Amino acid sequence: MKALVFSDNQEIVAQILTSIRGKSDADAAVVSPVMESIDQYGAAKLYELTGTPGTDAISQSLSKIFAEGKYDLFLAGSTVRGREVAGMLSEALNLPAMTEISDLVFRDGKIVTKRFFYGGKTLLEEESSARVLTVMPGISEASRSQSRSELVKVELPASKITIVNRIDKMAGSVNIEKAQVIVSVGRGIGSKENIEKVKPLAEAVHGEIAGSRPVCLDYQWLSEDRQVGLSGKKVKPKLYIALGISGQIQHIAGMRTSRVVVAINKDKSAPIFEEADYGIVGDLFQIVPKLVSALKQ
Amino acid sequence: MPYNVIVLVKQIPDIDQMKTDPGTGEPILQNLPLRVENLSKNAIEAAVKLKEKHGGKVSAIIFGTDRSSAAMKESYAMGVDEGFLLTGYDGNHPEVTAKVLAEKIKTIPHDLVILGNQSADSYTGLLAGKISALTGEPLLGNAVRIEMDGKTAKVTSALEEYNLEIKSDTPAIISVAQEINEPRLPPVLQIMAAGRKPINTQPAGPKEKFTSVVISNRAPKSDRKRIVFEDVDKGVSEVSKAIKEAIR
Ligand SMILES: Cc1cc2nc3c(=O)[nH]c(=O)nc-3n(C[C@H](O)[C@H](O)[C@H](O)COP(=O)(O)OP(=O)(O)OC[C@H]3O[C@@H](n4cnc5c(N)ncnc54)[C@H](O)[C@@H]3O)c2cc1C
Ligand SMILES: Nc1ncnc2c1ncn2[C@@H]1O[C@H](COP(=O)(O)O)[C@@H](O)[C@H]1O
Repeated sequence: MKALVFSDNQEIVAQILTSIRGKSDADAAVVSPVMESIDQYGAAKLYELTGTPGTDAISQSLSKIFAEGKYDLFLAGSTVRGREVAGMLSEALNLPAMTEISDLVFRDGKIVTKRFFYGGKTLLEEESSARVLTVMPGISEASRSQSRSELVKVELPASKITIVNRIDKMAGSVNIEKAQVIVSVGRGIGSKENIEKVKPLAEAVHGEIAGSRPVCLDYQWLSEDRQVGLSGKKVKPKLYIALGISGQIQHIAGMRTSRVVVAINKDKSAPIFEEADYGIVGDLFQIVPKLVSALKQ
Repeated sequence: MPYNVIVLVKQIPDIDQMKTDPGTGEPILQNLPLRVENLSKNAIEAAVKLKEKHGGKVSAIIFGTDRSSAAMKESYAMGVDEGFLLTGYDGNHPEVTAKVLAEKIKTIPHDLVILGNQSADSYTGLLAGKISALTGEPLLGNAVRIEMDGKTAKVTSALEEYNLEIKSDTPAIISVAQEINEPRLPPVLQIMAAGRKPINTQPAGPKEKFTSVVISNRAPKSDRKRIVFEDVDKGVSEVSKAIKEAIR
């Protein structure tokens, strides 16, 4: 097997390269500028794509490299841009695709993959001859290899997309990744003001407040650096208390390694209860004050 | 200026209601109601908002089955003007879906095609790129904001680390993120009117399909205790003990 690995996030490139090391030959492509040491994760060649990084241009460039280099597999990190490039390239080269995989094994010329399905309610394990894969972030803990990549600069062709402006996200000052205890609120909290009502609980357990994506990104009730999940922070506290969070898989992806999980949700069938050690079904505004007084006893 | 917008709408089983078999962990799909996929609703809402602001027309395409007219009626109720239901959908095969949809898109005059960035049941997330490749129209991806100015479409594209404002000429493909809007709940009158509106239905030609061998499809194993209390007071008393234990 010979794989071409691509992501607009070079840390994901390092993770994917680590996960296939020893199982497949690999080259990698990244968008300029290159991250320090990215040439040390086992790619024989490292293509540095320079110019305006429109996904159409990246896809055209990588389609050409893929065809000319006679690669068997295209592995893209599953980011917004990675999925776009994978979609374009799979169509341009007419290659079958498998998406959002969290595990990859090579078996007799075929590949065995795992991905979540039905909104994350099931884990689908399949054997296929897919040639284009989108790979979830965190498929492995990136580690360096002995060899150094040969750097090849590639000028991207013209893109139909114009980049007007880059807007950095607002950041606060907490690092919830290191927090020992987290009280996390979801859309069920209802408003920014209501966050005050759960602060006594956070104080009682000496925890940091965090939130789901709608709370941090959509409504901005909390700053974005408090978002837990696939596209937010991965946390591993001793205790994770989820209040009014439904437990969609992208949220779970960020808190799965918490030691003890407590969930409060008014919906008995909310998926968060599948991922909780302890759950209480009911209105969080009724339960939280009771919990605070019980904790103080 | 008014815009002709095509919106791509997927119908899915109601995954929120889906249960897995407690014994085997396999999904129970029988008798599961169907509904409009989440991101497709954001796409419809975005298209209808553009119509409300600039004028024009919203056409929806569903690649579905005979059972998808309900999803089209829901789309009508939200403000879609004309609906095309292509039948013959047979599971999640993005390469088939993309070709079927792109073929239809090419027959409808349009300034924009709007779709979800990643569908809520399968998380495939390939259609935007595939349809852009098949139509040759530029992709403005994962939009949280759309602004039209003559023949230019500008979107704020939400990336993992930062947002980018990007633009291109129309016709263009725009995929939308969940955060772009709150899909409307149509009033009863509109729902009733939608029921009477005709749907253009036609079968979609067969396409070569890529299949995989399913080794297993089960609820993921987790070692969580899953002790859930429905009695609040008992729950509070037990859970507070567990919390004290956990943070000791
Ligand atoms: C590519 C991608 C990446 C994503 N990344 C992330 C991510 O990093 N993090 C993330 O969180 N999400 C992420 N999401 C979004 C994710 O799919 C869900 O939409 C999100 O997690 C839902 O947030 P929520 O649980 O707060 O809201 P909802 O799903 O709306 O759930 C609200 C819950 O609150 C409960 N509730 C309401 N009122 C009360 C009350 N008074 N008392 C008790 N319970 C109540 C309801 O029963 C419901 O279960 C991502 C999605 C995509 C497609
Ligand atoms: N069968 C379908 N018919 C019409 N639109 C679809 C279909 N499948 C997916 N889409 C659209 O494509 C978006 C992304 O889907 P996907 O790429 O499959 O994750 C969805 O949110 C829909 O807008």
